[in-house]
Amino acid sequence: MMRQKTGIPIRMILFALVIFLFPFLIPSPYIIGVMCFVAIYGALSLGKAVLMEHAGVFSLAHPAWFGIGAYVTGMATVRGIPPVLAILIAAGFVALLAYMMGAPLLRLKEYYLANATFCLLIIVEIVLGNMGSLTGGHQGLIGIPPFSVGPLTLKGDRHFYFLFWGLCLGTLWFFNNLLNSRVGRALKTFNDSEAASMSMGINIPQYKLKIFVITSVMASLAGSLLCFWLRFIQPSMFSIPLMVELITIVIVGGGEVLYGPLLGSFVVMWVRELIHAYLGKVLPVMTAEVDALFFGVVIVLILIFMPGGLAGWFEQLIRIGWRVRERFARL
Amino acid sequence: MTLLSQIIQYAISGITSGSIYAVIGICWSVVYLITKVLNFTTGEFVMLGGMLTWGFHGAGIGLFPASLLAVASTIGIAMVMERIAIRSVRHPSPRTYMMLTIALASVLKGGVLLKWGSETRKIDPIFSTTVLHLVGAAITPQVICVIVFLVIVTAGLSWFFHFTLFGKALRASAFNNTGAMLIGIDINKFRLFCFGLAGGLGAITGIITAPITFTGYEIGLLTGLKGLVVAIVGYWSIPGTVLAGLALGLLEGFCAGFLSPELKDVFALLVMILFLILTTYRVSFWRKA
Repeated sequence: MMRQKTGIPIRMILFALVIFLFPFLIPSPYIIGVMCFVAIYGALSLGKAVLMEHAGVFSLAHPAWFGIGAYVTGMATVRGIPPVLAILIAAGFVALLAYMMGAPLLRLKEYYLANATFCLLIIVEIVLGNMGSLTGGHQGLIGIPPFSVGPLTLKGDRHFYFLFWGLCLGTLWFFNNLLNSRVGRALKTFNDSEAASMSMGINIPQYKLKIFVITSVMASLAGSLLCFWLRFIQPSMFSIPLMVELITIVIVGGGEVLYGPLLGSFVVMWVRELIHAYLGKVLPVMTAEVDALFFGVVIVLILIFMPGGLAGWFEQLIRIGWRVRERFARL
Repeated sequence: MTLLSQIIQYAISGITSGSIYAVIGICWSVVYLITKVLNFTTGEFVMLGGMLTWGFHGAGIGLFPASLLAVASTIGIAMVMERIAIRSVRHPSPRTYMMLTIALASVLKGGVLLKWGSETRKIDPIFSTTVLHLVGAAITPQVICVIVFLVIVTAGLSWFFHFTLFGKALRASAFNNTGAMLIGIDINKFRLFCFGLAGGLGAITGIITAPITFTGYEIGLLTGLKGLVVAIVGYWSIPGTVLAGLALGLLEGFCAGFLSPELKDVFALLVMILFLILTTYRVSFWRKA
C-alpha cells in the first residue's frame, strides 16, 4: 500500500472555505443553529464510523462518552473551574474510563461486545440520573456558565458555529491522517484478513484499544462544547435515542469513506427539522423517542435498499463514471 | 417487619422478577439459536402485550378476549417484522441484525408512545386480588401466576423440543443450519415460527406482569435487556436460563431491598458486563491448563 501525502487535501480546504463563508452568505440564525447541530453530530458520528467500519468495533457506548464529557465539563464549570481546563479534565477522565472499560471489553466479539457496551450506555444514564447532588439528577444540570477563554466570551450561535465546525473539520482532518498512517493501514489489513494481519505481527487488540480511546476522547470534546452551547444537559439526552440517531447518521451517510458521516449528519439533521416543522403540530408528543421512530424506519429502509449509504452510492457513481471514461478513451 | 419476613418478602419479589427474566431469556435464545439474530425487540414484545391489552380493554372488549387479541396481534407483528424487515436485509451479519432490531425496537416504542402517551398504565389482574400472608410477608395471587407460567413454559418447551418432530427439527437447525437445509427442513418457516413464538411468549409475560409492575411504553428496554443477561449467563439453554433468571432475580431483589432501589437495574447490567469479561478470561484459562 502506498503511503499517501499527509498534507491537507485541496478538497478539504475548499470545503472549509465554504463552511467559513456560509454564515456570511446566509445569515439566518435558524439555519446557523441547525448547522451547529450538523457539525456536532458530524464530529460525533465520524468517530463512530471510524470505530465501526474501519476498526471493526461495534460499540454502542459512543453517546455515553459524549454524555460523560458534557457532564464532567458542566459539573466542573458550575463549580467555578475555567472552561478550557474543564474540557481538558473531561477529556482526561473519559480517556481513563474508556481505557479501563475498553481493555477488558474489546476482547469480546461482535454480539457480545455490542451487548456489553449497550449495558454500559444504560448504566451511565441511570447513574447520571441518580447522583442527584452532583449531577442534578433526571431534571438535568443547569447554570453552566458561557464559554470564555480569558477576556473572550462566546456569544450567540454564530460564534459557536465556528467553534463546532472547527472541531468537526479538525476531527475530519485528524481521522483522515490517522487512517493514512501506520495505524490506519494496520486496521485495513485487519479488516481484510484477521489471520494474515496477526501473522504479520500486528498487535490488533492494542490498535483497537487505541482507536477506541481516541474516538471516545473525540466524543467527549464534542460533548464538552455542546454543554456550553445548550447550557443545560439532561441524562436522557445521551441515551438510546441518541444512539439510534448516530446509527442512522452513519448508515445514511455510509461509513466506508470519511465524508460519509458528515453527509449523513447533514441529511439526518435537516430531515429531523422537517419532521419537527411539519409533523410537530399533528403529533401529540414530540420527544427524542418519536424522532427515533422515524430514524428506525429510515435505518430499516436503508439497510434493505441501499446498504452502502449515500457515500457508497456516490462512490459507485464515480466508479461508473471512470469506466465510461475508459471506454471512450479506448475508442 | 422482622428481618425474616423482610428477607422472605425480598426473596418472593426476586423470584417473581426472576421468573419473568427467565421467560424473556428463553424468548431471546429461541430466536438467537435458530436465526442467529439477536432480537432487540424482545423487550418491546413484553411492552406490546401489556399495552395492547390495556388498549383493547379500554376500547370496550372484556379483559380476557382483549388479552387474547393482544397476544395474537403481537405474534402477527413479530412475524411481519421477520418477513419484511429482517429476512430481506441485503448483507446479513451480526452487526446489521443488531442495528436492524434496535431500529425496529425504537419504531415499536415510538409508535406506542404516539398512540397512548407516556403515562404508566395498569391492568386489573385476571385472577382474584386477595393477598396471602406468609410469616409477615405478603403474596399476591398474581405472583403465583407468574411462577406457574414459568413452570408451564419451561416444561412445555422442553417437551416440545425433545419429543415432537417439529421441535427436533428446530433443534437440528439450531445445531447446524446448512445441514438442516440439506435434509429438507424449511428454515424460513422456522424463522417465522421462532419470531412468532418469541412474540407470543413475550406478550403473555407482559400481560401477566402488568398488574404487578404496571406497564408503559418504556418498560420494554430494561426488561428485555435483563432477559438477554439471563440468556447469555445461562448459555442459551432452557435450564441454564431458568437458573440464571432466578439467581439474577434474587440478586436484584436483595440489592433493591438492602442496598438501593434506584440502582437495582445497574446491578443486573453490571452482572452482564462482568460475566462477559470473565468468559474471555475463562477461555484463556482453559487453554493454559
